[in-house]
Amino acid sequence: MAEITRNTVPAISVTNLSHAFKGHQALSQVTFCVMPQTLHGFVGPNGAGKTTTLKAICTLLKPSWGEVQVFGSSVRADPIAVRRRIGFMPDHFSMYRQMTVFEYLDFFAAAYGLPLKQRDSVIHDVLTLTDMDGRRNDLISGLSRGMQQRVSLARVLVHDPDLLLLDEPASGLDPRARIELMEILRELRRMGKTVFISSHILSELAELCDSVTIIDRGQIKFSGPMDVLLENPDEQPLYNLRLAAVSETAMQQIKVLPGVESVSEPEFTTGRDFNILLSPNISANDFLRELLNLNLPITAFSQQRRHLNQAFMDLTTRGVRT
Amino acid sequence: MISGVLTLFNWTLKMDSKSIYPHVIRAVFAFLMMFSIGAAFVNAFGNNSIGLRLFETICLFNVILITVSGISYFVTAVTEEKDAGTYALLRLAGMNSLSITLGKSTSRLVSSLMLLVIQLPFTFLSITLGGILWQQIVASYIALAAWMALVANLALFCSVRCATSGRAAGLAGTILGIFFFSPVIITNGLAALPAGLLSKSVTSFLESIPPALSSVSVMARLSELLGTSSFNGIPFSGGASGGNLPLGASGRELAFFGGQFWLSLIIAFVLFVFSTLTLDLWSAPAEVSGFSSNQKLRRWSVSRCWRLAIAWKEFLYFTGGRSFLITKMVCGGVLVAGFIFFQQLEGRFSGLTLQGENGWGLLLTLTGWLTIESLLYSSGCLFYEIRQSTQSTLATVPMSSTRVLAEKLAGCAMGLVPVLFWMLVAVLIGYASISDHCSATMVISYLIILSFSVHISVLLSLYTRWAALPLTILVSFPAFFCLAAPIYALAVTTEQIARSQHFRMSVLISALVNMFWTWLFILLPLQIWIRDRWNHVSEH
Repeated sequence: MAEITRNTVPAISVTNLSHAFKGHQALSQVTFCVMPQTLHGFVGPNGAGKTTTLKAICTLLKPSWGEVQVFGSSVRADPIAVRRRIGFMPDHFSMYRQMTVFEYLDFFAAAYGLPLKQRDSVIHDVLTLTDMDGRRNDLISGLSRGMQQRVSLARVLVHDPDLLLLDEPASGLDPRARIELMEILRELRRMGKTVFISSHILSELAELCDSVTIIDRGQIKFSGPMDVLLENPDEQPLYNLRLAAVSETAMQQIKVLPGVESVSEPEFTTGRDFNILLSPNISANDFLRELLNLNLPITAFSQQRRHLNQAFMDLTTRGVRT
Repeated sequence: MISGVLTLFNWTLKMDSKSIYPHVIRAVFAFLMMFSIGAAFVNAFGNNSIGLRLFETICLFNVILITVSGISYFVTAVTEEKDAGTYALLRLAGMNSLSITLGKSTSRLVSSLMLLVIQLPFTFLSITLGGILWQQIVASYIALAAWMALVANLALFCSVRCATSGRAAGLAGTILGIFFFSPVIITNGLAALPAGLLSKSVTSFLESIPPALSSVSVMARLSELLGTSSFNGIPFSGGASGGNLPLGASGRELAFFGGQFWLSLIIAFVLFVFSTLTLDLWSAPAEVSGFSSNQKLRRWSVSRCWRLAIAWKEFLYFTGGRSFLITKMVCGGVLVAGFIFFQQLEGRFSGLTLQGENGWGLLLTLTGWLTIESLLYSSGCLFYEIRQSTQSTLATVPMSSTRVLAEKLAGCAMGLVPVLFWMLVAVLIGYASISDHCSATMVISYLIILSFSVHISVLLSLYTRWAALPLTILVSFPAFFCLAAPIYALAVTTEQIARSQHFRMSVLISALVNMFWTWLFILLPLQIWIRDRWNHVSEH
């Protein structure tokens, strides 16, 4: 990813984007960029401006101020070129329910200018990817919500876009469908697509995304790699230690090691887990070396990372935007 | 139950007062009143009874507006909840069928009756102008109010019966169309048929239909009350001549509540009760109808998508596609064959050419078909996207919005092929008859008015939920008077100038010049407006 960052044009580049609806400032000086072939999460509370930003990126909305570029093409100056490279999946179901799955995809493939000969193989591929090949002749109106979501995703992929813009793709899906959708998104990243995903499901975004942008009240609160967000440089490092068996003297042994400020047991554990707070002047490497010398049956040692939920709560404001 | 009804009633009235559209309708209504006064004054030169003429025009507008409201405003009483998916929430809130029908429809009836109330100042003016008594005015308004109650409850029934507002509007429009036009069709049809073709019982049954419908007709009642010939040419005019209601103008005793009033209220009540009782039965959410999922049938009716993908979609899924095209073609053929058959029955002419009034009659019928089909397509083709929330998805396709709209137009135009084909056939087989009645200027004027109405209905469909078609009729009606005179004058002038300069194709030049100016000054601004509005709607 680092190499991509240095050498390529950003997939999305948003600079000083501002937009107002009837006197209500929806976006204010929004600036961020998304690198190609990454999975980028876009999170924020309700009414934060996520959908407005997405609409500006996918050429549906002409912003009042600012510049949005997709792979170097301006959405304002060359919307048709931008549309050829993006696939936008809105947050609501917008499907022609009287069509079959195949007809629906055939229609969009033709609308994107794919020749007839190519359409069959493309539709077959996207249906296979979304695991809907067996339902190609079913009416869309007869499909479940999860299946309709898959068809919607297949529609987005039918013209082989470089950038996928997904607005709340997992909303309303059951856990299985959600997990399967995330698998498909991982597969798409492996295929070299850039995925820009707006979602409320933070736990899944944390696992899935390479980078994230947090927006609140129309302003960007954070934009960058997920690792940077989850590490908090202001806080002292906290480590988790797990032992293979319960040891009554373990806590006492660890407490006296150099650099240890405190050792505690997390709630609801069986006595094998410990939280260790180290002083800033000792490295994790040095501490682990000392720990190994105690000959404890260690099975896991890791730095406790801030959860995305926590970062989200820290960065965003309580209450609904008025 | 009472609190539920009151809440719903209150809420509907509040929504009505907050929304801009009912106020716009009221403003349009006031404008029509002013137009009536102007028309009455123009009519007054050399005539007596100016007040009567004014009141007749007002009554005619009322009848049109109430009838149009039936297929637009009243018809969405229950279906708007079904469309929005909130019907089940009303039931969860503990509302029974009676609460829903009362709360949703009565408020609309009340707000519509207010439209009649705002007319009072104008009606006093007609008394002052002379030719009409206050008793006639009161009796006329009672007749109109009864008609409104009947139409509102008929629309409520359609709203309960149908799953979507569009289907309900279609059903209400069909019933009202049958109500107004079946007497004319039956009377003329029976007159055209040779004696002995139908059995006596069938003939007497058919003959009993027009008087039966006439007894509920507001037109017949108004004609009777006002005692004028102004409603001649309108179905039912003079149809209730057997009634013994006195005419105020002739000094006879006047009955305020006629048979039409009581019959309308009884039918309205029956429809209301029936709607309330069947509300649960028909409250299932809207299903997608249309094409079969049977693969053989589908392969026949749905071909692979064309290069013009949006045109393909419109033709196939909006106008009905190949199967509906063939059906319309067959229906057109049956219509033409019917005219030829009736001509043969008359025995005056033979062969396949239509003569006398027949050719002109066929062309007028097909013109009516073309007008209705065009307006249905134009009022629905963009709204169809909005209803399915697909406009934003369509807007991300790499095409300009102008091309999207042009492809939609092309798809709908293909649906018009059967009627255009049969119009061409009608011109070929009835040329002599048509050329006796029709001039080039008339054709040009019709095309321009049709184009204008189509544009207006497309535009209105992007603003209103279901009222695009009736509002188009409302707008086109006065617009016709504004446009017809300049169009006609321009056509005649252009033709005369071309002739004076010895251009052989003077009519064609006149047509082209008229079309160009109309497009430039009327249609092009509307087209730009439609495109901008479509772009705006696509943002959501």
